[in-house]
Amino acid sequence: MRATRSARTLAVAAAAGAALLLTSCAGGDLTSSSGDGGDDAASTWNDATADLSGVTITFGGGTAGGPLDGAIEAFQEETGATIKRVTYPDPYEQNLQTRVATGDIPDLASWQPTTSMLTALQAPANLLPLDDAPWLDSMDPAVRDIAGFVDDTRYAAIVSSPSVMGVYYNKAVFEQYGITELPQTWDEMLEDARTIQAGGGTAFVEAGGAQWPTQWAVQMQLAEAAQDGLWDEVNAGETAFTDSPIIDAITTYQGMVDEGLYNADLRTATFEDQSAHLFAGEGAMALQVNALLEQLLTQYDAQEIDDTLGWFPISAEGTVATTIPDNKNGIVAFKTGDAEREAAAKQFLTFLMTDYYPTYIEDGGLVSIVTDVPNPDTVPQLAQDIAASLGNSVGSMQSLAIANPDLYINLASLLYGEMTPEQVADATQQQFAQLAQAQGAEGF
Amino acid sequence: MATTAPAPARTAPAAAGRAAAPAARRRRAVSYPSWMLWPAFAALLVFFLVPTLLNFVYAFTDWSAFKQGFGFVGTQNFQRLFADGSLLSSLRVTLVWALLVALLQNGLGFVLALLLEGDTRVNRGARIVFFLPVLLSPLAVGYVFQALLRPDGALNGVLGALTGSDVSIAWLGSTTWTIVVVSVVQAWKWMGLSMLIFMAGLKTMPTDVLEAARIDGASWWRTLWSVRFPLLAPAVTFNVATALLGSMNGFDTATALTNGGPARSTELLNIFIFRTFGQGLYAQATTMSLVLFLTVVIVALPVILYLRRRENVL
Amino acid sequence: MTATPATLAAPAARAARRPARARRPGGPGSGRRTAGRVLHDVLVVLLAAVVVGVPLWLVLVTASKTTAEAARPDLSLPTELALGDNLRQVISQGEVLLALGGSLLVTVPAVVLLLVLGSAASWVLARRTGRWNAVLYTVGISSIVLPPAVITTVLTVRSLGLQGTAVGMVGVYTGMFMGTVIFFVTGFVRNLPIELEEAARLDGTTPFQLFTRIVLPMLRPVIATAAILTTLSIWNEVFYTFFVLGGGDTTTLPLNLYKVASAAQYVNNWNLIFAYVVLMSLPMIVVFAVAQRRIISGVTSGAVK
Repeated sequence: MRATRSARTLAVAAAAGAALLLTSCAGGDLTSSSGDGGDDAASTWNDATADLSGVTITFGGGTAGGPLDGAIEAFQEETGATIKRVTYPDPYEQNLQTRVATGDIPDLASWQPTTSMLTALQAPANLLPLDDAPWLDSMDPAVRDIAGFVDDTRYAAIVSSPSVMGVYYNKAVFEQYGITELPQTWDEMLEDARTIQAGGGTAFVEAGGAQWPTQWAVQMQLAEAAQDGLWDEVNAGETAFTDSPIIDAITTYQGMVDEGLYNADLRTATFEDQSAHLFAGEGAMALQVNALLEQLLTQYDAQEIDDTLGWFPISAEGTVATTIPDNKNGIVAFKTGDAEREAAAKQFLTFLMTDYYPTYIEDGGLVSIVTDVPNPDTVPQLAQDIAASLGNSVGSMQSLAIANPDLYINLASLLYGEMTPEQVADATQQQFAQLAQAQGAEGF
Repeated sequence: MATTAPAPARTAPAAAGRAAAPAARRRRAVSYPSWMLWPAFAALLVFFLVPTLLNFVYAFTDWSAFKQGFGFVGTQNFQRLFADGSLLSSLRVTLVWALLVALLQNGLGFVLALLLEGDTRVNRGARIVFFLPVLLSPLAVGYVFQALLRPDGALNGVLGALTGSDVSIAWLGSTTWTIVVVSVVQAWKWMGLSMLIFMAGLKTMPTDVLEAARIDGASWWRTLWSVRFPLLAPAVTFNVATALLGSMNGFDTATALTNGGPARSTELLNIFIFRTFGQGLYAQATTMSLVLFLTVVIVALPVILYLRRRENVL
Repeated sequence: MTATPATLAAPAARAARRPARARRPGGPGSGRRTAGRVLHDVLVVLLAAVVVGVPLWLVLVTASKTTAEAARPDLSLPTELALGDNLRQVISQGEVLLALGGSLLVTVPAVVLLLVLGSAASWVLARRTGRWNAVLYTVGISSIVLPPAVITTVLTVRSLGLQGTAVGMVGVYTGMFMGTVIFFVTGFVRNLPIELEEAARLDGTTPFQLFTRIVLPMLRPVIATAAILTTLSIWNEVFYTFFVLGGGDTTTLPLNLYKVASAAQYVNNWNLIFAYVVLMSLPMIVVFAVAQRRIISGVTSGAVK
């Protein structure tokens, strides 16, 4: 019967098609890289403005309208190359990663230069090593080696001062409650918080609605432990999230929430709400990363911000800052197998970090990380304080752990009373183990 | 779905006789040529069947973003997934959501169909207005309601004006009720379509039955429940089927509204799958897709089949 | 799908021949009592205004505000009318014209292919009998039930060399929505009287002529339904578009909405987002307004059987 034949043919065709695709993927042939992409390409570093007429490369980024736009345009003018922007909308990391998995690789991309995120891109296989980049020597030593590595090889170029977790405080509110000296330990900060609360003010402002900021309070407490090698132990499976000091940090956070030290809308406040509350003096402190400053800079100028807010780092026993470079701080170059494009991509990095760097930081109001390039005038004092803290800092979970579990989602559940600290730690550990195992890490 | 209508004209043509049956089959095979099937099935095969089959195969591997190539690991992914409670809780959320959407969307659609039955100008205009949300992008709808439902948003503003006090309910901030809110938004978007289908059913009702009911003196309400609603069975089937299947597989609006929050109480399985993909755990994500598929088969199909059978009975 | 188009046609035909008698006893919408009718109308208008009007008003009003004012979207009127500016910014930054072209480039061929190929296949599936035919049918409609398999679809498109092309996107949509078309059209065809086809066959018409000349015209209602549903789904589709088209030269309206919505990483530009939503919805609304009678009658007579 015709229908029988049709049905059988269909079945065979489907199976054949699936098998074909499967075998082509099993060979790991997802990228079009020819082996190692050629060692020659890896060590070729063109001059910043060498001619690149006729070369087209793609730049993957999440946002337009930043100082990178100017860099890209200038590069195209100077070298004759063409750079096509490819936007990966939020969630940026997920979307870029998925596209890379299907073999759709850009030449350059903004990417978080942390170990866990670089591993997620399979850095050794997919990214060009940047160990011999010509601009490295002129970088600020405090910043140069702070991030961008996987297994001692540098895969990401750090292009701006890495984001740091710290405490933004409203100067007027501190003055109002008579806090004249900045706290030097976590407990001192809690004492100040209680003073403010007792006086009728709101000590901390949290953005539970956005979820991601909830993790800073926990991570900042782990700075000293991180300096002692906490994350190495976690990576090896020797310490879990359910062990001290991580579980203690989570429990402390729960305690702070229970004590009522937070804003009334802590569960639903968005990121914009948080900055608005803080700036208006409706709360005294916010534990946040550089994103808060960047957000405020879109609404107020540097002087206004410096007049209203101050910043200080804090950790469990001291003022060790925790760094967490974000995807605006780093750029990676991919192994595409095309030697010309790879060289052009690296040339863009050189251009950005050498010839164009002064313009870049001027445009973006960024702190300079190149030794001989001074900060532009438009940089707020806050940003300079933040950059200064890098000298006494340690990496965050994102920077030092091999995998990046969704700690913040579990902490957001904690704010709703849906999870206890133990449950948060347990869920996070399980996810970490799953990710580590997928990477083939030992001990999992 | 091989049930056919009881139309009597489907059998062999006038020149009946036992010998006609195989001849008719041959003629039928000749008259309905395979080549007309092929283009459609070719597209289906290449762009849907092969990827879907492959997807299910990957559920038994350790494919991830972290390594090139992959190996087969049997049912390990399934075991792990069920040991950890989050898959089950996502499934539960998805089922609750599907149920709520099916009920709300069709309930509201039915009410609207009844309300706007008559062919007055006002009604016709209203039908168009209520159909507008169907035309909007689900993503856009999510953004609109995200703005509307903020604690300081328009809905609370209106409620505040009505009650004269300050209203700042966190519509999207309740771990118990936000799933209902999100379902309402989804129902809002699609109730226009539901309304149209019910109206079609209402309009094409055999008028002799209705006349008989009127002559018997049945009230409007009585006519509705004893006569008209049963006759709407095909419309009900269609609407429930599309609502169930659509809500189990779709997630644009929910993502734009809450992205699974607060505290994962609106994290539909598809949102969870996407998040897992995003972490690079591809094999685990495809395992979850397989589980979702089985869930749809187990839950939605029997409901649809039951409704179909009810159509035939009524 | 029990009522045949014959039974559908019958009361409609009867109603057309009979003078307008319509009304059922009492109830809303009967139009018999003036007071009741006024009440009904008021209720309807109020309902429409609140339920649909308010959200749409929010969109329009926010799209007309400046970024600062739109930061906390509410129902108040803008203090300065920035609608023109916002629209202009969105059109240039969001490349709306380009995206519109892309949406058309992808939607129209996909819908045409789906309807043509799908109805041809549905006719064959509906008329044949036998177990294998049933199997083919089930496979044919499977795309309605199965959840998205994004990575493997993209891998397939990639291995065909169609990554980032409109052709690839059209192919993906044709595969994805074929089940919907087959589902609708098969059901409809099964309820068409076969006598016409049998008669034509006896006259010696080829199957192809039979399909195009006799069957296809009868399929108009269901084709309208299928056309509307698939067009709606494809026009607003963003998930697969992002993965298949993203990075290529073609872009679509929903894809660009995504771009506009994440234009500045940490600030929601509600005014721009909603200005974009206004622009993006206009084509669908215009088409609907123009063809609404046809569309509604197509949906209503095609879907409910």
